[in-house]
Amino acid sequence: MAGSHSDPLAHPEVRMGGAMRYIAGFISTVALMGAALIVTLRHDMGYETYVEVVGGLAALALLSQAVLFYGLDISRAQIWKSVSLILTVPLFIITVGLTVWMFQSLDQRTMVMPNSAAAATQPTLLQ
Amino acid sequence: MAHQAAPDANTRLFAPGFAGHSQISARTLGFWLYMLSDALLFTALFAAYAVLDTPMNAAGGPIASQIVNPVEGFWQTIAILGSVTAYSLATVALKTGNRAGVMLGIVAAMVLAVVFLGFGFNDLATLTAQGNGMDRSGYLSAYFVLILTHAIHMLFGLIWMLVMLVQIPRDGFNEMVVARLLNLRMFWQFQATVWVCVYIYVYMIGA
Amino acid sequence: MQVHVPGPWSPLFGRLTLDQIPYNIPILQYTFAGAMLAAIVVVGAVLYFKKVGYFWREWLTTVDHKKIGVMYIVIGLVMLFRGFADGLLIRTQQVLANGPNAPGYMGAQHGFLPPFHFDQVYSAHGTIMILFAATPILTGFQNIVVPLQLGARDMAFPYMNALSLWLTAGAAGLVMLSLFVGDFSAAGWVGLIPLTELPYSPSTGVDYWMWAIQISSVGTTLNAINMIVTIVEMRAPGMTWFRMPIFSWTTLSTNIIGLTAFPVLGVALALLGADRYLGTHFFTAGMGGNLMLYTNLFWLWGHPEVYFLILPVFGILSEVVPTFCEKPLFGYVTMVAASFAIAGVSWVVWLHHFFTMGAGPDINGFFSVATMLVGIPTGVKVFNWAFTMYRARITYTVPMLWAMFGLFLLLAGGLTGMMLAIPAVNYTVHDSVFVIAHFHCMVLLVVAAAFAGVSYWFPKVFGFRLDESWGKAFFWTFSIATLIVFTAMFALGFEGETRRLDWTFNTAWKPMLVVEEIGMILYVISLACFALMLVFSIVNRKKNAAGPDAWGTSRTLEWLTPSPVPFYNFAVTPQVNTRDELAWRRKHGLDKAQPEHFEAIHMPSNTGMPFVIGMLAAVWGFAMIWRIWWLAAISLTALIVCVIIRSFYKNEGYHLQPEEIAAMERDLALGSVVSEQPDRSHHHYSHVEAH
Ligand code: HEM
Ligand SMILES: [Cu+2]
Repeated sequence: MAGSHSDPLAHPEVRMGGAMRYIAGFISTVALMGAALIVTLRHDMGYETYVEVVGGLAALALLSQAVLFYGLDISRAQIWKSVSLILTVPLFIITVGLTVWMFQSLDQRTMVMPNSAAAATQPTLLQ
Repeated sequence: MAHQAAPDANTRLFAPGFAGHSQISARTLGFWLYMLSDALLFTALFAAYAVLDTPMNAAGGPIASQIVNPVEGFWQTIAILGSVTAYSLATVALKTGNRAGVMLGIVAAMVLAVVFLGFGFNDLATLTAQGNGMDRSGYLSAYFVLILTHAIHMLFGLIWMLVMLVQIPRDGFNEMVVARLLNLRMFWQFQATVWVCVYIYVYMIGA
Repeated sequence: MQVHVPGPWSPLFGRLTLDQIPYNIPILQYTFAGAMLAAIVVVGAVLYFKKVGYFWREWLTTVDHKKIGVMYIVIGLVMLFRGFADGLLIRTQQVLANGPNAPGYMGAQHGFLPPFHFDQVYSAHGTIMILFAATPILTGFQNIVVPLQLGARDMAFPYMNALSLWLTAGAAGLVMLSLFVGDFSAAGWVGLIPLTELPYSPSTGVDYWMWAIQISSVGTTLNAINMIVTIVEMRAPGMTWFRMPIFSWTTLSTNIIGLTAFPVLGVALALLGADRYLGTHFFTAGMGGNLMLYTNLFWLWGHPEVYFLILPVFGILSEVVPTFCEKPLFGYVTMVAASFAIAGVSWVVWLHHFFTMGAGPDINGFFSVATMLVGIPTGVKVFNWAFTMYRARITYTVPMLWAMFGLFLLLAGGLTGMMLAIPAVNYTVHDSVFVIAHFHCMVLLVVAAAFAGVSYWFPKVFGFRLDESWGKAFFWTFSIATLIVFTAMFALGFEGETRRLDWTFNTAWKPMLVVEEIGMILYVISLACFALMLVFSIVNRKKNAAGPDAWGTSRTLEWLTPSPVPFYNFAVTPQVNTRDELAWRRKHGLDKAQPEHFEAIHMPSNTGMPFVIGMLAAVWGFAMIWRIWWLAAISLTALIVCVIIRSFYKNEGYHLQPEEIAAMERDLALGSVVSEQPDRSHHHYSHVEAH
């Protein structure tokens, strides 16, 4: 088995990443979450816009983690990780997205939602 | 297949001395695949949470906005990201074979993880003490199980780190130890990724 | 927070009491006697021939992908037999318990199985057939064949491979144990909700079902990782992606499904487990639970799962058909593309299992169209096989017969699937036996391909072909039985027979039920043919001895190795020059070429740890089922400690020296068998310490 006799510390998987990248990853994620927190606390957007904005911030945070933490790219050492991730991301979206769509429609057709104050002020993704 | 080349003098039928694959590459790819699988586990939990996050499913118990605290969640965010960054920096020390550096990074990561978990367990314990445990309603079931699944992952990460703290001084940076350290880096970073999703979805959109 | 369970509970034995042993049920007495007899014969034989050491060294501790594959297939065949026995009981009950005047025997009002027992039988039947028969058999083929087809020495992670096997074995053991200790789930293989909730299924049956599936799915997920990494990282030099045999391609696509779908099943069952053990309200009828959430999560896995089963089957057909048509597969690239299209689309169709939930026309429409889209790549595949056979010189060997029958079943199952995919049709036939007939065409295609695979690769693994005439007798009886049973079942579906009836109330169904039973008798006869096939094959093994290329017309690399394959697979890694490498070498007279010199081969050492971990997982499952908390805590801790201990191992295998390989290859040329590893305690094998 190759690699067995070479220096493990020379492996590209060890060589990748770097202090600056990781610190940048930390700062960018915390900053994006901080921005989302501020938006949340100010409560001055419509529900839909709000979900879009924090969703966008989350997507950016995940992207920065993919690049800065996991070090994904299309180099020979990383290509299979990147490909497999790209193939799997649609499954995340399908699983949650279609499920929400399905139950949203089902609830509308089969359930009488309680008309309480909480229900009125608490829109969720299912409503 | 009409244009198959005919063999000629340069055709080789055997590859003596074929080096094969590298253990570290195989292990890190394998572990990455495991993480994708684990990501789908969390995806399914998020789908369940989405379905159960309605006032109907709260069954008269508290709803998301009554139990989550986005500001406290922000401190948790800083703690877990700090932990991940500390561990990642440990693997920067690995590049130069610096044992003390690696172990220091791991210990720092563990301390911050314990802080993170402390917040989380405190939340759950408080809720349970108020009679709003996981058996109170469908919504709380989803909330508890999502948070607990993440916490259990973190606990396994902590055990793994303890094992590495023993193996590094014992075995040095041999191929297996290095592969484990790299996989643990992925695993740990993945916990922060999941937390970002939990934080946005449960703590912010729910607030 | 421990939920209240009905019935007694003690700290020492949990819910286990003596009257959980169903010693008073006649059928189980016979089964128990039979199982004990078989166990005594097997264990007695092992002891008598002093083979305990051999079993431990060569099988229980092996990390050789071929032996692991064989064990998977043996487990699968045993479970297939068990599942068949369940099927026989179901069919016999339904024909006996027909109409209001049907007599009752053995405590049943009609027929011979009381409802609760009948319900357990069909639940066990489905669970076993899909998860403990079909899945292990197909996994076994992948284990045996894929590394060989790729020109590799082993799987990427031999140790983890053994671990996957023993987890599956432990889980299968739990299912079997439920026969004699406690009961099995009576809520269907899908886990009909809220029937599976504690108040409605208070016994341990659902727990057996749930934990057995959980443990085996961990094995399946680990195996998926192993297969994917093997295919990505371990191909021989020259084996570019588009030179890879189709079976390896379908293994890749199917394991992508396995990797991504099984965690969703894990969640569905874990949440049900939380309801049953922690008192949560995920799927309960009150307190804010949502029943359909379970159904949704289950089928989110369930539909990809059926393609997880069918894709390797397509791979087997794609190996068998060209071999016996002596032609390259028609449309190789489209075959690859179709496999991935099927895997992809399989993720967006799951709602067709519950159209009747009533999610609305938009949603039913979306999932209906998505479902029908699967027909396109499937159709592409059917045409590819048909064109491969078109104007070919077909040899009608047993594997080829199975493959052709499989194509027929694919057509019947696929077309009825299309009918079911139309919501308007589905509303009328959903939950009728029409659906059962549809998916049995599909799962019997899996069985047909499994037997095609068994007869095709048997000589590769054991060095001799299976007896041809008994093989054909088995094929004809089995396939005609299939046609009889399931044609009648389609008809019964149209006559309105619903699923899972312990009492078939409508006397108009009687004729077709009788026809089905006749088919079942033929199945029993076919089973006898199968047994005789094995016996005569072993008796005539000298006559049917096979060389490396057992069929003389095979096309892929596994047939380059001696039969049976030596434990190191290839003495020297082959260099791949083209697609269908062996066919190409044979055409140019190079297939007998031997390497000139050998180099040391690195081999992994055997280890008993996977076996121990698998058994600990089964003990843990047992403890959870019976709520014996101390045992659960101990076994889980022991399991984790074992995993950690293993990570401290330093022995990373050994090297086979060139002289040893040369000697073994000489022996092989003389016709002796080198499938056993040398005893590693001999000092001339140089152990390598971790580096
Ligand atoms: C052309 C492809 C296929 C189509 C269009 C199709 C369509 C369907 C539909 C619409 C149903 C739901 C029927 C109902 O419950 O009302 C169904 C059930 C089922 N199908 Fe298929 N199917 C296809 C292929 C397969 C394959 C390849 C397999 C297995 C290897 C399979 C196994 C099953 C099983 C096990 C069920 C019923 C499960 C249960 O309710 O217990 N199908 N199919
Ligand atoms: Cu389906």
